[in-house]
Amino acid sequence: MNEAKTVLIIDDDADFVRALGHLLESAGYVVASASNGRDGLAQAKTVRPSLILLDVMMQDRTEGFFTLEQIRDVATLRATPVIVISSIYSDHPVFSVRPEAGWLPADLFLPKPVDPARLIAESARLTAPDYAGWEDTAKRSDLR
Amino acid sequence: MIDDDDVMLLSCRRILEKAGFETETFSNGHAGLARLEAVRPNLLLVDLKMPELNGLQVIERVRAIDPDIVIAVLTGYATIASAVEAMKAGAYDFLPKPFTPDELRLLVNRGWERWHLVAESARLRREKDEAERRFVTFVTHQLKSPVVAAKQYLDVLLFTASGDLSPQARDWLSRCRARLGEMLSLVDDWLTLSRVEGGTFCDRSATVDLREVADRVVDTIRPQADSATVTIRVHAAGGVPVCGDRNSVGTIVSNLVSNAVKYNRPGGSVDVSISSSGRLAVLDVEDTGIGIAAECLPSLFHEFLRIRTEETAAVPGTGLGLAICKQIVGELGGTIEVTSTKGVGTRFVVRIPTAEGSQTTAEGCGSTRKPA
Repeated sequence: MNEAKTVLIIDDDADFVRALGHLLESAGYVVASASNGRDGLAQAKTVRPSLILLDVMMQDRTEGFFTLEQIRDVATLRATPVIVISSIYSDHPVFSVRPEAGWLPADLFLPKPVDPARLIAESARLTAPDYAGWEDTAKRSDLR
Repeated sequence: MIDDDDVMLLSCRRILEKAGFETETFSNGHAGLARLEAVRPNLLLVDLKMPELNGLQVIERVRAIDPDIVIAVLTGYATIASAVEAMKAGAYDFLPKPFTPDELRLLVNRGWERWHLVAESARLRREKDEAERRFVTFVTHQLKSPVVAAKQYLDVLLFTASGDLSPQARDWLSRCRARLGEMLSLVDDWLTLSRVEGGTFCDRSATVDLREVADRVVDTIRPQADSATVTIRVHAAGGVPVCGDRNSVGTIVSNLVSNAVKYNRPGGSVDVSISSSGRLAVLDVEDTGIGIAAECLPSLFHEFLRIRTEETAAVPGTGLGLAICKQIVGELGGTIEVTSTKGVGTRFVVRIPTAEGSQTTAEGCGSTRKPA
């Protein structure tokens, strides 16, 4: 068995962090958390998580988007999988915003509240050794 | 002030400066425009008849530089025709030469008031737009956040602690979760409706294949239909490109098909037919469901209307789905019709312009977007 993987949750809603933290711990992950983008970035640099869950609307409406750009500017975090989690893009039950090259360097978008089974499955997929990374995903969606 | 008569410039300047207006004068249009672009005055006084650039040409260029600058015309060749022409070009006021200092002061004071009104209404418009945007953001975030957090706890609890819960606890927590889900759907639907009404939801310049959208929507609804033992069939001879964005068209199909499943009966069916007739695409959704009483049909598309009968009591819904459909169909330039027989079934027919049918290029609907 490998060493436990760490997931960093960046979200200003303490209840949301607690609920998802519990879920991920029950699935064997170590959980770290931050309540704003600045602390999240600082923690990401020191903790070097296997996966980051990132909220969009924190103090500022689009704080998460800027935090994501800052995360990608750090060489050691460039390839770290990031799931953007937000209730902003749940406008439609069928079509949601997808990560796209040139728009947002994210690996996945999930609507809030998160379906627990889906989060566990996606976390396993994104932290697996054979996951190609968001840059590859973006390239492929460009070719479509 | 722009005038080719230096004596006129000098005397007007004296009058205006005495009245407390900071004044700059130019004896030709080019020099005046160059300065105007840099300082953006509140008011421009301009002579109509000048060599090189005439007054009308100056007015047109000023309107292009900054439409908020108030323009008044001074001229010795005052005719009704020239006045009308200047006003048409965007001048606000008109003063025939010769004029008295009082007349000039009056003109400038009126222009000054006008400038304030224009600036004030622009500020109010900006504030109103910003308030609307903020309100939508507020609703999304503030209204949904507590519900999202509560539902997230229940989702996780029911997922991780299922063995530790008594059957009754599990049942009640599941019901709480479902009710919170209803609340979130209601906020989302209401938000969608206000965005459709506000004109920020639909994109008529986009093109999407109605058949492909319908296939994807039906795929997402199929599990729900299977558990209700309702069969969904999609009939289409080929792709039907329509004018509209994926979200708008998807929302129409999604609402109609999910209604057809929800208000059906065990063993029933839903037929989704897609075709085109002339310049219109036709989406036909027919179910073998509980049907709608004739007296309820006229108000079917009203907001927050839910028909309450024994059969619909247990069906979750926000009462906004059909109102949203009707609004979106209207935004896309189409029509929606319903026919129904109580106890037999309901049929919705939506007609929206096809991409080929619009008066634009073969590329689609006049979109300036790059193809996906």
